[in-house]
Amino acid sequence: MRVVTGVVGNDIHVVANRLIEISLKERGFEVFNLGVNTYLEEFIDAVIETDADLLLISSLNGEAEGWSRDLLFLKSRFDLDGVLFAIGGNLSVGEASSEEIVPKYKAYGYDLVFHQVDLNEGLDSIEEALKAGV
Amino acid sequence: MFQKEREIITRTPYTDSFDFDEIREFITGASKNLFISHRFKKSDKILVQPRGGFPTYDKVFELYGEFIDAGVDVLPLTIDSNTRLNDYEMAKKMLALSEETDENMLNGYPLVNQGYRVTRKMVSHYDTPISLRHGTPDARLLIEVALASGIFEIEGGPITYLLPYSKNFPLDKAFLYWKYVERICADYSTLNEPINRESFGPLSATLQPPAIVIVIQLLEMLLSLEEGVKSFSVSFSQTGSLSQDIVSANVIKKMARKYAEKIGCGDADIHLVYHQWMGAFPRDKEFSDSLINTSTVIASMVRADKMITKTRDEAFGIPTPQVNAAAVRNTQYTLNMLRGIPTITDTEEEENLSEMVDDIMEAIFNDPADTLWRQVFNSIKNGIIDIPFSPHIINNGEAITVRDKNYNIRFYERGNVPISDRCLAFERSKVDLCGKSLVEHIIEDIGIML
Repeated sequence: MRVVTGVVGNDIHVVANRLIEISLKERGFEVFNLGVNTYLEEFIDAVIETDADLLLISSLNGEAEGWSRDLLFLKSRFDLDGVLFAIGGNLSVGEASSEEIVPKYKAYGYDLVFHQVDLNEGLDSIEEALKAGV
Repeated sequence: MFQKEREIITRTPYTDSFDFDEIREFITGASKNLFISHRFKKSDKILVQPRGGFPTYDKVFELYGEFIDAGVDVLPLTIDSNTRLNDYEMAKKMLALSEETDENMLNGYPLVNQGYRVTRKMVSHYDTPISLRHGTPDARLLIEVALASGIFEIEGGPITYLLPYSKNFPLDKAFLYWKYVERICADYSTLNEPINRESFGPLSATLQPPAIVIVIQLLEMLLSLEEGVKSFSVSFSQTGSLSQDIVSANVIKKMARKYAEKIGCGDADIHLVYHQWMGAFPRDKEFSDSLINTSTVIASMVRADKMITKTRDEAFGIPTPQVNAAAVRNTQYTLNMLRGIPTITDTEEEENLSEMVDDIMEAIFNDPADTLWRQVFNSIKNGIIDIPFSPHIINNGEAITVRDKNYNIRFYERGNVPISDRCLAFERSKVDLCGKSLVEHIIEDIGIML
């Protein structure tokens, strides 16, 4: 399984990004890590170039929301059926509950949304979804 | 030719017009007290230096007053992040706003916009060495202004100010820009006491393996000395393990001397700087005080020439001048109790670390490129030098480190770092993940001081 990952927007939280990369490798993924400060367009380009099965975006400082609004538009321009879109981290600037955040991000075009979820739990859910072929 | 380049670099509306003849005259006649290189020679104690900088002249002036009252040895001048990115227009706007509103709209002192004529007044007033702290890949103009202001210690380097701070600033450019900095430091060093250059050993401050830290310290030292710099400080930050700090200090001192002599620069003065804990700080301020005191004890045990302090408010943001000065006062108080503290050696660990450093250095020198900076550039590109948790795209990012049960930082995966099988086996023999996943272990290792 191929995965493209990275941190979206002007966000330089490199430690979390690196831990996600190590975890994905431990689980047997082929990882293409675009690192911190990555634009949404760059993620989509990388998914196409690498023929990835999964795009896993992370965000820690609440920037993801502003950057995610174009996702449906970008998805509509390319044939990305069969690619699982997931996002995780701290997805709001202030305090917000998962009940509020998850539907919002699903509407942006993500299949799986993890707001303040433990890394390993999130990756377990992603693996289950990939197995089920969602 | 070089002078022509300097005139082009310094000709900008964002700083005052440069009068190079006047600047040379100023440096030639400058007070010896402004030179940390001079202070190192005369002092038999560890010099204590905090961090700090504010946007306006008045606030820096006030900060320095607090530090002087607290018994500081070396003053810091921390530069704002717009200036670090050469965005002088934004720095100018934010400086104007800071002056109007009395709020700090910048996270440091915009030295270029303030200019050397104004800044020199403050420098001369306090007559104490000042250390420039920034993080700038292209620091050519900034350093011209700093030296003209009487700031005679310049921190940074092409590797240590780039790989921990930037995702995609071109590394080859950083080498050339820093070559310019080394050359002007070397040039001005002939006029009075030497200008001191200091490297930034903490790097990304997250589980940095001492072998990599030391190699990078040696390389920035060599790149500086080969341009004619005569006074250089290598540095590293508290690892989290007292014994590993001692081993690191013993090895870096021995190696710095050895490699300086190897390139025919054995006449340079080399100093050791110790950074108090640079990782995540506890939110409990009493714990922070305890951590800072322990750092001070270790700085004494490793015989550092200078120590850079933290404050009990580290977990909460930029400290007030009063809290910052209190940390200096407490550190001096603790230091005073530690006179004549005995030294320790650990032969087995020092041999292991020395071997790793020599093996990496040898691989770099074996690169076929024609100059040292190109050899280093290639070695970073191909992962011979690999910094854990660097955000930069050129960094290989395959080396993985974890702590052993005594909190020593060990290689777990070496990636392309050319340490021998024997050294890797020694490192791994110390590590026990205790049934946890690698990532769980790393998360705990990062947070040991919380």
